[in-house]
Amino acid sequence: MDEISLMNNEFDTTQFIVINIGDEQYGIDIKYVDNIVRMQKITRVPNCQDYFKGVINLRGEVVPVMSFRMKVNLPEVENTNKTRIIIIKLEPNAPVGIIVDAVKEVVTLTDNNIDAASRSSTNNDPTYINGIGKTGGTLISLLDLNVVISEKETA
Amino acid sequence: MDVNQYLEIFLDETNEHLQSLSDQLMILENEPENADTINEIFRAAHSLKGMAGTMGYKRMQALTHDMENVFSEIRNGKMKVTSNLVDVLFQTLDALEEYKNTIQETQDEGTNDNAALIKALQQCLDEGTGNVTEEAPAETKEEPASDSGNENGDKKWKNIALQEHEINALKEAEEKKMNIYGCTVFIQESCILKAARAFLVFKAVEELGEIIISEPSTQDIEDEKFDFDFSLYIISEEGYDKVEAAIMSVSEIEKVIGEKVSAADAIANGEANEKAVEAKEESGAAETAQPAKEETAAPASPAPAAAAAPAAAPAAQGGNAPAKKGANKPVVNRTVRVDIEKLDVLMNLVSELIIAKNSLVSSAASGGQAGNNSNFNEQIEYLESVTTNLHESVMKVRMVPIESITTKFPRMIRDLSKKLNKKMELYMSGEDTELDRTVVDEIGDPLMHMLRNSADHGLESTEERIAKGKNPTGSIFLDAYQDGNNVVIEVKDDGNGIDVEAVKRKAIDRGTITAEQGENMSSKEIIDLLFLPSFSTAKVVSDVSGRGVGLDVVKSKIEALGGDVSVKTKLGEGSTFSIRLPLTLAIIQALMVIVGGETYAISLGSIDTIEDISENDVKYVEAKEVIHLRGNVIPIVRLHEVLGLEMPKENKDRMIVVIVKKGDQYAGLVVDELIGQQEIVIKSLGKYINCTSRMISGATILGDGEVALIIDANCLI
Repeated sequence: MDEISLMNNEFDTTQFIVINIGDEQYGIDIKYVDNIVRMQKITRVPNCQDYFKGVINLRGEVVPVMSFRMKVNLPEVENTNKTRIIIIKLEPNAPVGIIVDAVKEVVTLTDNNIDAASRSSTNNDPTYINGIGKTGGTLISLLDLNVVISEKETA
Repeated sequence: MDVNQYLEIFLDETNEHLQSLSDQLMILENEPENADTINEIFRAAHSLKGMAGTMGYKRMQALTHDMENVFSEIRNGKMKVTSNLVDVLFQTLDALEEYKNTIQETQDEGTNDNAALIKALQQCLDEGTGNVTEEAPAETKEEPASDSGNENGDKKWKNIALQEHEINALKEAEEKKMNIYGCTVFIQESCILKAARAFLVFKAVEELGEIIISEPSTQDIEDEKFDFDFSLYIISEEGYDKVEAAIMSVSEIEKVIGEKVSAADAIANGEANEKAVEAKEESGAAETAQPAKEETAAPASPAPAAAAAPAAAPAAQGGNAPAKKGANKPVVNRTVRVDIEKLDVLMNLVSELIIAKNSLVSSAASGGQAGNNSNFNEQIEYLESVTTNLHESVMKVRMVPIESITTKFPRMIRDLSKKLNKKMELYMSGEDTELDRTVVDEIGDPLMHMLRNSADHGLESTEERIAKGKNPTGSIFLDAYQDGNNVVIEVKDDGNGIDVEAVKRKAIDRGTITAEQGENMSSKEIIDLLFLPSFSTAKVVSDVSGRGVGLDVVKSKIEALGGDVSVKTKLGEGSTFSIRLPLTLAIIQALMVIVGGETYAISLGSIDTIEDISENDVKYVEAKEVIHLRGNVIPIVRLHEVLGLEMPKENKDRMIVVIVKKGDQYAGLVVDELIGQQEIVIKSLGKYINCTSRMISGATILGDGEVALIIDANCLI
């Protein structure tokens, strides 16, 4: 344990939670993650943004929950027992949940392993991503949570 | 000296004193001879000066000092209260308020000396007293002693009230052919160790004779609880010159005023001034009470002070870059002053809660045994009653009467009356209506806007009113009252009302609406145009209002607080603006209903009745569904539609309609099923989720852990 934290100090590293959406892997900076909970009953909120599925009860707090798939214009899928809600806190007292297909692992990336997102790529929505992480031969798209959560609809 | 930790107390008390000054000044203007008021003012001004001095705000202190001088002269009857004087005094209060605000934001009083104001005060003082301050003794000498009550000026010894044994001592001395002198010693204001100087004076005098009594008392003088003068009665065999010389031999003594008196004079003076002295003693008591208060408050303050300190740092940096946001951040946290009694109640409830918990624990420990179940239920009921009371008390702590903002208004209307040259009077009622502190803080500005609006746009000019046969003095009413779970604040004037046609023409001129649209709009819709940004009907833009940034700001602010604004008007008779605000109780009683399989809560406060209505009773008016209920035509809202749910397939012939009301408007909400009444805790939906209609005011968590949304019935009417 001590060794790891020591290593973290030596290089500039960031830990990411790796999530699966279909076949793709996305990374969420762990410092914004408050909690990961299983899928639960979501209360629909009428007349709100359509990517918001509603609100859940998270230990006595009402937390709005959005579907990552709907936000990035991917087709909806059935919930499985791997579906998770990641509770993000960009600001204290303003949690928001993001529904993902599955949570895979936690990876530690050094700055050398993070490339800036390529603007010219044919990627559908490069705006949600602020970097590409490389680990063990796979690529992880690192999410820019401010963009994901912000209200602005993608054109 | 590090005074940071006292800053909050200072600001709080400054606020209080300024408010009290403003209130009393208003009274004083109407009753210039009211001695109680003058004393009250003097006391407040004096405390303010003392506080500013302690905190090291020299400019503020200087200004208050000059103000205090004026009050002091008024109190001594040397000056008459004139309208002009009151104006200057009000300006002084404004300036002090400014200092206070600057201090609140930056912890520094700023650099405004307000020299003009000080000069104006000085001028008032000179005019009012005929510049008699220095020559006072010469003039008053001819006055009969019995009149001296108000005319003493510098001969303050005449104000000393004598106790019986002192009177006896004086009489005895007279019999022994000793001389009795009354004298007042003035210490230079630059003197730092006044108590020490006073002590030296006492010592010098005691070498020549005996001090019968001093005012303030020797104890107070030792504790430095006096201004820059004190008065003595001395008996001595020596001549007065010698006594005076002895006193003057002490350095830093400005002057000594005194004369030989007879015992009878002294006693008469004492009696004549008993009343004045009483007042003085009271003020003395008020002052001594103050440090005590600060002491008790001090242990509580370190925490907020610590919080304030980091905030102060960016504020200080902000001085270099005024654009920086930090500069606007007040260095002091917001606080609520809580009645000790309320805290005691809270404390008691908490101890009861602990007892309830303990009995639960013990009944759990002996659990499983027969007969325990009823005991357990009993404990649960007890716990429930305690938590309900606890909630109520905590809410009460957060509630403050709107008085704290309305007290500013009479003064404002007075100023407006002068500025606009219209006669007007403000009548207020329901100032004791309580609202959550956060709401009260926010509605001050909107209310002020609305009052200004009534004064400027609403009321006609005095000439116009006379021509119309109305009372030349216009009336503005500010009424607050509680209505269910809402608090309603109404601003009403008996002015000309809103000229709907004029508004329409103006809207068309400005291109806000087309002429055609104007034809089809109801007068209510046209009046609502007033709430659009940049719309003003005043033909002349004054600096009171008319820039068109009034009502839309009011509306958006009130709506941000979860309330709404409405207008009623009658041309020629006046208009009424009503603000409706939620009490913002975090816990409310609600009716739980089921609509399309989903559970919703409707605040019980907005529900009038629940009706069982046959489908056949639904009529159509202007293609909208209405029902006819006890003489009222009530529009019905099918919640399925507004909540985006599918209509139930089979058509029931009866339906449950929840009648909700807002003021005198009603609406019927059609629901599938009623669950019942429940106490619910209101939770916010969070800032990210964005309801296009503001129909959902929040959410609550039900007993089974599910989330139910709260329908804001006010938005459906």
